[in-house]
Amino acid sequence: MGRLHLKEIKSISYEHADVKKGYTDQSLRINLDATDIIITPIEEKVKKTFIGGKGYDLWMMWNAVSGSTKWNDPENAICISSGPLGGTPGYPGGGKSIVTSISPLTGAPIDSNVGGYFGPYKKFSGFDVIQVDGKAKKDTIIFIDGIENTITLFESENLPTDAYELSDILTRHFDKDKPINVSVVTTGPGAANTFFGCLNFSWWDAGRKRVRYKQAGRGGIGTVFADKKIKAIVARCGTISMKTNNPADFEGLKRVTKTHAKEIHDLDPKQNRMSLVGTTHLVPIMNDHDCLPVHNFKFGSHPESRVIGEETYEHLFDKGFDGCWKGCTVACSHGVKDFSPVTGPYRGQTVFVDGPEYETIAGCGANLGIFDAHTILEINFYCDAYGLDTISVGTSLGFVMECFENNLITTKHTGGMALNFGNRFNALTLIHQMATGEGFGAIIGKGVRRMKAIFAQEFGADMAFMQDIGMESKGLEFSEYITKESLAQQGGYGLALKGPQHDEAWLIFLDMVHNFMPTFENKAEALHWFPMFRTWFGLCGLCKLPWNDIVPEDNKTMPEPAKVAKHVGWYADFFSAVTGRKTGPDDLISMSESVYNFQRVFNLKMGFGTREYDTLPYRAMGPVTVEEYESRQERYDKQLKEKYGLQITDMSAKEKVAVLRQKREEQYELLKDAVYERRGWNNNGIPTLETIQRLGIDFPDVVELLKKNGAT
Amino acid sequence: MIKVDDKQLPWSENMTLSSVLKTLDSVDLCAVVRLNGKLVSSPNFDKTPIENNAEIQLLPLVAGG
Ligand code: SF4
Repeated sequence: MGRLHLKEIKSISYEHADVKKGYTDQSLRINLDATDIIITPIEEKVKKTFIGGKGYDLWMMWNAVSGSTKWNDPENAICISSGPLGGTPGYPGGGKSIVTSISPLTGAPIDSNVGGYFGPYKKFSGFDVIQVDGKAKKDTIIFIDGIENTITLFESENLPTDAYELSDILTRHFDKDKPINVSVVTTGPGAANTFFGCLNFSWWDAGRKRVRYKQAGRGGIGTVFADKKIKAIVARCGTISMKTNNPADFEGLKRVTKTHAKEIHDLDPKQNRMSLVGTTHLVPIMNDHDCLPVHNFKFGSHPESRVIGEETYEHLFDKGFDGCWKGCTVACSHGVKDFSPVTGPYRGQTVFVDGPEYETIAGCGANLGIFDAHTILEINFYCDAYGLDTISVGTSLGFVMECFENNLITTKHTGGMALNFGNRFNALTLIHQMATGEGFGAIIGKGVRRMKAIFAQEFGADMAFMQDIGMESKGLEFSEYITKESLAQQGGYGLALKGPQHDEAWLIFLDMVHNFMPTFENKAEALHWFPMFRTWFGLCGLCKLPWNDIVPEDNKTMPEPAKVAKHVGWYADFFSAVTGRKTGPDDLISMSESVYNFQRVFNLKMGFGTREYDTLPYRAMGPVTVEEYESRQERYDKQLKEKYGLQITDMSAKEKVAVLRQKREEQYELLKDAVYERRGWNNNGIPTLETIQRLGIDFPDVVELLKKNGAT
Repeated sequence: MIKVDDKQLPWSENMTLSSVLKTLDSVDLCAVVRLNGKLVSSPNFDKTPIENNAEIQLLPLVAGG
């Protein structure tokens, strides 16, 4: 511990609030400007309306920021919450944290749902939600000690800069006898030098005796964290059992926990085998269905993708229990031990890599033309250690590579590096540059939207082409699925509140493969129900994977198998058992609807949240180039002839690209109309007054804002 | 014989994954199977032959990330 210099600058003792029915009914605010530590009760009305998790975060944020707050203003807050069900050991996926802030990429609220033990530890220390705002003058560590009931702010010096080493040192420092009692939130040097910094949430892996990590990746919350000079937030908590949440109906909780956990234990080996392969099974599946992003989302498959899928990673993953929550039977958070990077500061050393998951493989592998499992591991490792979001890194690098191959940028701009697809060593060099904010990597770290402006203004690149191929919407880089042939998923990305992340709706197979939603109304219904239900996991502190990645054996005979009705029923039982609030499946949707609409209104408050912001780059809808058209010519020709009744014999490929584009863009606008109507929004995408009244979010400032923006 | 999930079915010459699935109920949402432990996706069902003693597991609807 020789290197650890912590100077206490403030410490308070507090009275521990007991958890009652999943709630402590207290929030904790830490203001770094004044080093204030403020504990406040949470009102019943807030609890009823916002439920917890992301709902609580957004409510705290709404009150913390004004419409003109920028991501790096002191009043911007980082909020972290668990939720009433979060912290239930043994319930699959029962321990997530939800983090929000105003995003450096989008300027609007961003939320990220992340594993590790921090959320439950913070709650069991006495706080449903924490808000950190202001800016520290020096590197600061916030320590919430739920065993001693103290909160302490430390200034720190000479700590390691990378998240990998830092979390390890702090875990061992804050409870050297029982490191399992500690969970740490950190970022790394890349967060300060890019706009897509991530946060690493840790847990102690008792089997391997090491710190493990999950990332709150999206939207640059790590960048806000670094800007506030927060070095780490640490929570310490004692032993947790199913009783720690003090559930209203302990027997009922035991029953539903056991039922769900057993089902996963029995069926995962027969289904996706996530306890062995994580989400890497998706790589070959997406590839074979033409949905794996290859070469900046230009293509959907590649013959070499097999070598970066489950067949390879199953052998690389270290065997052992890999739940990022205590007793989660899905246990899909795998890692690779004794990995030896060939570049960067850890070159030649052996490290443990937490991952990769599908998104990292797709974004930092196939999308870059890198079909090498070890390079993907190295990118994964350095992104985590540097505090970089692998999705934004992959999507941004893919954009840069396509710009390079089209001569929009040249070696003159890249510091002499050739950035063709597949150039794995230069991709790694750029990631090292992102960490230090040097070279061309510093420009890439600004994200796709800002790169487009820089390339156009400073390098004279063609803006219209970059708008078509730059895979961002609302300023956030796309997560890693090809949506060209699924209008519903185009909506899933384009209409997502925070930007194109698949956690709101993932409808590609239902729509594209099974043609389950042929009409606009069907698609709109799906783009109502699925985002609402998926939002609910974020309100309660849960992981969505156990809902629909392992399903009951009779699920396929159910009327709407995609909803996995039996599990929805179990979640309602779970909620009832913990909170004592008698809840049925439909209630889960209405809980989410309030928070979902509130977030849409929040976007409006920040200057967004209307129709014009629900746009997509054309590449998400169809082929931008003739090369792309020709790669799926049979399919596109057929559509032009059969779906649109066009005579195409005399059309050039370029004309076909143009006419298909016109048709697809029209379809997307029609989809928006249908979805807005279903969600109770006006034609400009703003919730109507009737909608917010029905949902109980008609607070005076909300009503005033909506009226100012033309809502009736 | 072949095994589909827990059921034994007779094997026949020229069997493909598609022809097997056609004989089963409630497989509309099955876009991926494991054939002898390896993933096979629906675009390849027609061209995937089934050998005698093959073991097929029908995977549920792909749910994405
Ligand atoms: S399902 Fe996987 S990601 Fe979700 S809580 Fe369990 S181990 Fe973590």
